Amino acid sequence: MRIKTADLTKTYRMGPSQIAAVNRVSLEVDEATFVAIVGPSGSGKSTLLNLIGLNDTPTQGKVLIDDADASLLSASERRRIRLMRMGFVFQTFNLMPTLSALENVELPMALAGASQKAQRERSAKLLETVGLTGRVRHRPKELSMGEMQRVAIARALANRPEVIIADEPTGELDSKTAKEIISLLFEANREEKTTVIVATHDEKVVSVANKTYIIKDGNLETEK
Amino acid sequence: MFRRKVRTSLSIIGVALATAFVIAVGATTMRYTTVIKEMSVLFSGQIMVTSSNAVVIQAIPIGGSMLPQNYTDRKIQDITGVDKTVPVLFVTPMSLTGIIQTVPVNFTMGIPVEDWKTVIGPTPLRGNSGHFPTNESGSEVVVGASLADQYNWTVDSTVFLNSHKLTVAGILETKLALLNRCVLMPLKLAQRVYNYPGSVNIIAVKPAQGIIQKNLTETIEAKMDYVQALTEDERNDMVQPVLAQVETWDVGVQSVVLIMSLIQVMAVSAMSVSERRRDFATLDAMGAPLNYVFRIVVLESTLIGVLGGLLGICFGSLASLTLASLYTSIPITLFFPSLFEIVPPLYVAEILLAAMFVCCAGGILPALNAMRMRVSEVLRADY
Repeated sequence: MRIKTADLTKTYRMGPSQIAAVNRVSLEVDEATFVAIVGPSGSGKSTLLNLIGLNDTPTQGKVLIDDADASLLSASERRRIRLMRMGFVFQTFNLMPTLSALENVELPMALAGASQKAQRERSAKLLETVGLTGRVRHRPKELSMGEMQRVAIARALANRPEVIIADEPTGELDSKTAKEIISLLFEANREEKTTVIVATHDEKVVSVANKTYIIKDGNLETEK
Repeated sequence: MFRRKVRTSLSIIGVALATAFVIAVGATTMRYTTVIKEMSVLFSGQIMVTSSNAVVIQAIPIGGSMLPQNYTDRKIQDITGVDKTVPVLFVTPMSLTGIIQTVPVNFTMGIPVEDWKTVIGPTPLRGNSGHFPTNESGSEVVVGASLADQYNWTVDSTVFLNSHKLTVAGILETKLALLNRCVLMPLKLAQRVYNYPGSVNIIAVKPAQGIIQKNLTETIEAKMDYVQALTEDERNDMVQPVLAQVETWDVGVQSVVLIMSLIQVMAVSAMSVSERRRDFATLDAMGAPLNYVFRIVVLESTLIGVLGGLLGICFGSLASLTLASLYTSIPITLFFPSLFEIVPPLYVAEILLAAMFVCCAGGILPALNAMRMRVSEVLRADY
């Protein structure tokens, strides 16, 4: 999946004034690349990822998915793209607390209408890949933070997405666990040819990225 | 999670209590209105003559003076258009236990022995054993099945009523609540037992063929200013507004209780949705179909309705039986076999459906809110 943004802007009204969380951002993400978006807290990284992940609509500008303007898509087409072609990893994992690790991974496949058998097999395989074979029946509250993020990565990979969008995936983790999580994302990028877009402060992520964008006060400042 | 479980459990109990209240109130009022309605079976197609100051509820005269039997009977028979008359002594309440009852539950009817069928129709006797009394001056009576079961009376049992020794000659097998709680005896015996010699409080009048009942009642009332004569339609018309009012109040109370349940379920669902904003937003981010979250929330609230409704049906049925027992001083165990008459299954199904519908409706607004959760907004609000 090729993603491009053109003059992408998102403003929020804060009382009488308008704040530009993302300001005229133009970037390009090629297929099978590992992209890092780096910037301090409140710089607009999450907002940019939400716009790229079609979870938010821009105030101005465009997001182009394979050169097609995403703003022209219907709400259900955008959902379909998010479900089938994108995977999401959040800083706070966002696992369903009432579901087991296995069921959490099955969820996107269930939403996509996969058979029960296919869901079970792929979930078990993905959890094995992320090193959680013995934890499949555990609920999120019974898992460590690192384990929860592994489940989240397995969930993001469930529908074989073309792109994984990860918002501060190592933000809540210690450095050792963070390294393991980055390795998992890197493996997905290298072996499955999945595009990975990560918003992060973490230097270790930057070191494995093919391309790094630095964002500050909503403006894309430099590109490495 | 624990708080959510507690809240959901409390919500289910809330719906259960509301359902139980609706069933208990509804079933109880329904039972009494049915009993009143079915009384019209007695004296069906006949004119009922009572004293002018008596209040008549279907077939029961309440209060009012006694009528001199022979004088009144003869005067009515002299009126053109009268085919037959049956003098009846109807007494209520009749205390068999000395306990004062909130509503009349026991009755005595004194009827001339040759006129049993005119009043009670073809009511059979239990097990085809026993017989209807044939001696006007004897001490034999027939009793309703419910009375017999309560006091363990069988054919040939001895019953003491107002210090008179009576013998049970048969047990009436009937579904009519009035006859089930009735002691039927020859008119002369009833007059002796209750010390009303030569007096009755009802004279049932069968009009001759082709006679317009309304005209006959007017003639009777014109000839005897101390009586009122009521056709079957008039008796029904007298009680209908009261029954309609009771039913309206019943529907009103049920509606208020169900609306309160709706508000309760709505509040609980709203709290539950608010606690799970992140979950719903995550589902939205993952690309769940637009109505997926809506269905989850509505299904949850409907399940609260189903579980609460089922629990409420159990509580409500028990409460209905308890109320019936309290009102009548009849042991609750005697009501168990007639559970489905006191709490009709169709009524229970209606209330269960209403509880489900109310809870489903209560989930709609919170579900619409849940549908609108976007991960970008939820995460932004969290920071």
